[in-house]
Amino acid sequence: MEASVSSNDRSRITSGDELLVVEDLKKHFPVTRGIVFQKEVASVKAVDGVSFTVRSGETLGVVGESGCGKSTMARCVMRLLDPTGGKVIFDGRDITNLSRADMRPIRRELMMIFQDPFASLNARKRVGFIIAEALEVHKMGTAGENKRRVQELLEVVGLNPEHYNRFPHEFSGGQRQRIGVARALAVNPKLIVCDEPVSALDVSVQAQILNLLKDLQDQFGLTYIFIAHDLNVVRHISDRVLVMYLGKVAETAQRDQLYTEPKHPYTGALLSAVPIPNPAQGRARKPIVLQGDVPSPLNPPSACNFHPRCPRFQEGHCDVEPPQLYSFGEGHVAACHYPLEGWPLSEEEMRRPSGRAATAPSEQSAEPTPTT
Amino acid sequence: MALLEVNDLKTYFRTDDGIVKAVDGVNFTVEKGKTLGIVGESGCGKSVTCLTMMGLNNRRNTITSGEALFKGEDLLTMKPSKLRDVRGNDIAMIFQDPMTSLNPVHTIGRQLVEAIQLHRDVTTKAAKTRALELLKAVGIPRADRRIGDYPHQFSGGMRQRVMIAMALINDPDLLIADEPTTALDVTTQAQILELMNRLQREFGSAIILVTHDLGVVAETADDVVVMYAARVVENAPVENLFNRPHMPYTWGLLGSLPRLDADMERLTQIPGQPPSLLNPPRGCRFHPRCPYVMNVCKEKEPELQPISNDPAHLQACHLDEQTKDREAAKLLAGTLAEVS
Repeated sequence: MEASVSSNDRSRITSGDELLVVEDLKKHFPVTRGIVFQKEVASVKAVDGVSFTVRSGETLGVVGESGCGKSTMARCVMRLLDPTGGKVIFDGRDITNLSRADMRPIRRELMMIFQDPFASLNARKRVGFIIAEALEVHKMGTAGENKRRVQELLEVVGLNPEHYNRFPHEFSGGQRQRIGVARALAVNPKLIVCDEPVSALDVSVQAQILNLLKDLQDQFGLTYIFIAHDLNVVRHISDRVLVMYLGKVAETAQRDQLYTEPKHPYTGALLSAVPIPNPAQGRARKPIVLQGDVPSPLNPPSACNFHPRCPRFQEGHCDVEPPQLYSFGEGHVAACHYPLEGWPLSEEEMRRPSGRAATAPSEQSAEPTPTT
Repeated sequence: MALLEVNDLKTYFRTDDGIVKAVDGVNFTVEKGKTLGIVGESGCGKSVTCLTMMGLNNRRNTITSGEALFKGEDLLTMKPSKLRDVRGNDIAMIFQDPMTSLNPVHTIGRQLVEAIQLHRDVTTKAAKTRALELLKAVGIPRADRRIGDYPHQFSGGMRQRVMIAMALINDPDLLIADEPTTALDVTTQAQILELMNRLQREFGSAIILVTHDLGVVAETADDVVVMYAARVVENAPVENLFNRPHMPYTWGLLGSLPRLDADMERLTQIPGQPPSLLNPPRGCRFHPRCPYVMNVCKEKEPELQPISNDPAHLQACHLDEQTKDREAAKLLAGTLAEVS
């Protein structure tokens, strides 16, 4: 258990050193009707009240199914989208309402790595230009200096510096993702948001990129928000994990806590659905198969938005009273009235909540929500 | 007799750059009612193997040789009209992307009815009843109303269920599923895999499951074929493959996988990229990336042969068995020892 010790150490050293604080972030996309007089008839609540903090030097993993708002949340944090409500505080400064001009110097500190290494590199530009573009935009050096910097970066990410003059199509998927990483590193950012950086890659290449990201973090003290739908990958790279469901936080905890003692039934279902590459172990357990699909964020279910699919749904409570984030100690919070008593649970136990946490949140949590 | 027996299957594509050997001498068998998992990275020829068996490659630029005996008859030399009959009747296929494999301008009901009437001489009304039955069997809620919906009105998981319903129309003996859950989320993936398992029990079909996810293979397959650069490098019953992998590429795949059941500070990475199939490396195709490479690997291509004490476990590697047992044990200890 070396890994867990070292990650705990890291978070202890840096606690209090909060690089990013997100409070009650909301992003609603309007749905309009009519051509001339566009009337807003509804809104898609893509992100609906998400709060979390990222400490300097740690990796926050964000998991959830497609359409749960993870990417929208990341884009709001990056100010690529303007949030509808809430606050984004980066490095002690509220950047939620900064103008484009005021935002520009801050953009240097916030970079992003995208999912699709084929679509995120301009096919008509040379690799050297793609990586140096941010340096030029931020006027960070002369042409000669930038060229040297780019070559250095290519080497850092494990590419040949002589590839400077090549076009993206000459590289394989994994190599392109390395170019994406080099581009994000160019301006020495503090925070890198990785939006599904390895989901388009094969396992052997995925391992190369994950190792690279870990090495770079050690080398340059980077902070990551790592978005993925693969729970194995998130477990491997994260210090803390945030589970999202339908625009809301379902659970947040230290990595090991989340994977060994999940509290939210959705986290439990996700964990039990991950196939284990070990036939004896994988077949012995019985996955909790959730019924149905993720509901539309246009018209989310009332109160706890997970209740129509939840195995421990209690009528008259879960669909009436929205759960707050109950605390389970050490920054472990989950939004559920009937948290899991242990893990793993059988299907039977899953359906029979003890209702221990069904009382008021004040009894459960020393510090009122939201805690992280 | 095995349900399907593939012998020395080769599929070459003529392209402007030369001949791409997409499948180059593949052997495997599928037993009745069993599931065979085919794993490998993109471009290793797993999908092309399936398409070749179904006769779905473009004939104009494809060179095919070898044989694929289905119930004793060779699919590759079968007359097109006969093959058409087998396809959809005895062998059905599910594709990766359920959006592009359904026709967006017809309702799913119409598409199901069409598929039923192609193979059976029934009235539209009877076909519709059958379609409804199938949609219910694959767990589509309110099937009687959803039957008139268009594919875009369904979610990814639901579309894949429709595809499975369509594949099951004639109770096929063999179902080929090409990455059926790759485009889906984990919870939906669990639903679809459970559905496929249940249907296999009910209908007794054999399944060829093509995937790149070793986890999915471990949980669903009975036998596993590992492919690398158009060749089979290892073929074994699932327990044996995961408990005693016998080929450096399989070790690499297992080691590069972040997993829930083990703590690994660093993933083992396989250096480099898979080779181009236009001009694959001489000798063993894995040798440029193999950490155990010997001189013989660069010259002589290893044959697929059984390991000494397990005739069902085939592998293609020159490395001696003692070393392999030692390394495999080390790999497994590395992942298992740290299980908390």
